Amino acid sequence: MGKKRKHSETQTAEPRKKDEGAPERPKRTLMGWKDKDEVSQQTESTPDSPQVFRNKEKVMVTCSRRINYRYRHLMLNMVSLLPHCKKDNKVESRSSKGATLNELIELRGCSSALFFECRKHQDLYMWMARCPNGPSVKFLVNAVHTMEELKLTGNHLKGSRPLLTFSSNFEKDAHWKLLKEMIIQIFGTPKEHRKSKPYHDHVFVFSIVDDHIWFRNYQISVPHNESDKMVRGGLDKMTLVEVGPRFCLNPIKIFAGSFGGPTLYENPFYVSPNQIRALEKRKKAGKYAKKVKAKTRRKMHEQSNPLEPDEFADMWRE
Amino acid sequence: MEMMLYFHAMGLRRKDLSFLQSGKAVEDNVNDVMGDYSEEDDSESVSESESDQEDVKLAEPSKTAIYNREGLVEKCEDISWPENVGWMHKLSLDVDQEKEVDVNDDLARELAFFTQALEGTRAAFDKFQSMGLPFLRPPDYYAEMVKTDAHMQKVKGKLLAQKRQIEESEERRKARDAKRIAKEVQAEKLKERAKQKKQEIEEVKKWRKQRQQSGFKDGKDGMPDLGFENGKAFERSSKKRPGVSRGDRSGGKAKQGGGKSNNKNKKNREFRNSKFGFGGRKGMKKQNTAEMTNDVLAFNKSNAAGNRKRKR
Repeated sequence: MGKKRKHSETQTAEPRKKDEGAPERPKRTLMGWKDKDEVSQQTESTPDSPQVFRNKEKVMVTCSRRINYRYRHLMLNMVSLLPHCKKDNKVESRSSKGATLNELIELRGCSSALFFECRKHQDLYMWMARCPNGPSVKFLVNAVHTMEELKLTGNHLKGSRPLLTFSSNFEKDAHWKLLKEMIIQIFGTPKEHRKSKPYHDHVFVFSIVDDHIWFRNYQISVPHNESDKMVRGGLDKMTLVEVGPRFCLNPIKIFAGSFGGPTLYENPFYVSPNQIRALEKRKKAGKYAKKVKAKTRRKMHEQSNPLEPDEFADMWRE
Repeated sequence: MEMMLYFHAMGLRRKDLSFLQSGKAVEDNVNDVMGDYSEEDDSESVSESESDQEDVKLAEPSKTAIYNREGLVEKCEDISWPENVGWMHKLSLDVDQEKEVDVNDDLARELAFFTQALEGTRAAFDKFQSMGLPFLRPPDYYAEMVKTDAHMQKVKGKLLAQKRQIEESEERRKARDAKRIAKEVQAEKLKERAKQKKQEIEEVKKWRKQRQQSGFKDGKDGMPDLGFENGKAFERSSKKRPGVSRGDRSGGKAKQGGGKSNNKNKKNREFRNSKFGFGGRKGMKKQNTAEMTNDVLAFNKSNAAGNRKRKR
């Protein structure tokens, strides 16, 4: 049974529960224990119901077989960054990939998935999908730096809720808005999650530059003089230290269904890495061909314009 | 035509074929093929442009790209949380990006990300303060961190090593400069001294000449003022070594270095000679052979071969 989060859907769930025999436990909300009737009244009467909303997002993180060490470390970094994720075993097949993955997600009881697919031991594709019938996106991942690099010196609590910052270009277009929504739901740690830690000491940066989404993760560090919780005047001295990982996402396609379905968006500027490599090879081939051509041309030229006999040819004859 | 396709299919082997075969027919074909390729290359090179790190972007967007705006908006509404969800759940901040950042300029790009994060954090901090919720981590809160302590030790080690490297190079540079300056000063001093010496000699010569010219009649009155009477005569020179008598000539620089190495080398040399040397007195090893012990009577008349077996 998928976890329902939407406002309308929670309402439909409740009458169904009332039909069962045993008295249900009063529904637990963020404000404490409330009776279901009260809750339903509240939800019907007042339009704002943040008390009922609970972020029950669960992300399944998997990868394909034959993944590179670098990308595997990236995946492990993601697992440590998202306390609401579940890591699963490597997924084998290439055919019917979508169906297998959907099944897996249902099995684990997750609502989204991050799937890292590595092709030819070189290219990493990342799928971000919403399980039951939600949209899914395929990205090409570039410029990967994992947390293990010694140049990235920051550190933060494992499981603390991140602040998500988006650059303003996310509002410029429909597909960016959709991506922003998906990113908020997948990368944002749910509020009362079991494994989440209280303070906010790191920031995620998602910004669109050159039609790519760049990801950075910074630790918020403030020099502490007093032992106050609120640091007075510390706002000016607040610095950010990069924790990692770093990567750059190039959206390829957005599908209406999970791991399949009709295409909603296709990136017009996207060139697949295979094509790039093929082009390079062709260029090199062209170089050799041109050289051969130049040689034959030279030979023809020499044959057609013979040189005059050299006067000094036998000067040094011995 | 078939030749062309054949060449196109066998990428590398084309080279071999062109080497093996000779004659004009092949050349013509090669020319045809090359013509096609060069055209292709030109068209491709026009429509491709390098952007970041092995990622090539088409200059003109492909005409067949799908963009289903309504579908996108619909899906977005589908998945999004209800609008009245508090900001605390989302924790998302929108930061205004003023100017376009050049992707290839690493420093500017990272700076842009940094400033975006900083502004976002500041805005969040204000919000949290207005809501009265804790924001920053207090210094005494210990919990599991996302990078292990061992890893942080490595990071620290690397940073310290870098710092040490910088310091060392600074020191080396300073030492080099100081040495250069000291050398110059020393050269100056030597020149001074030489000049002084020359001057004094000149003075003495002049005085003698003067005396000679005036016929040695002045006696001791015209002695040049060579500074003997200045009261400085009994001052020791600054180059003194305490505990060493004046006539001691043992402390020369050349002798010191030689002496030290002599002692060590002697021991080494003796040791090595005894172990590996050919000549000299070795341990008395056994010198008799079976024939010689049997040949007691013919000892003196033993042949050269037998004698040779004994060590000399």
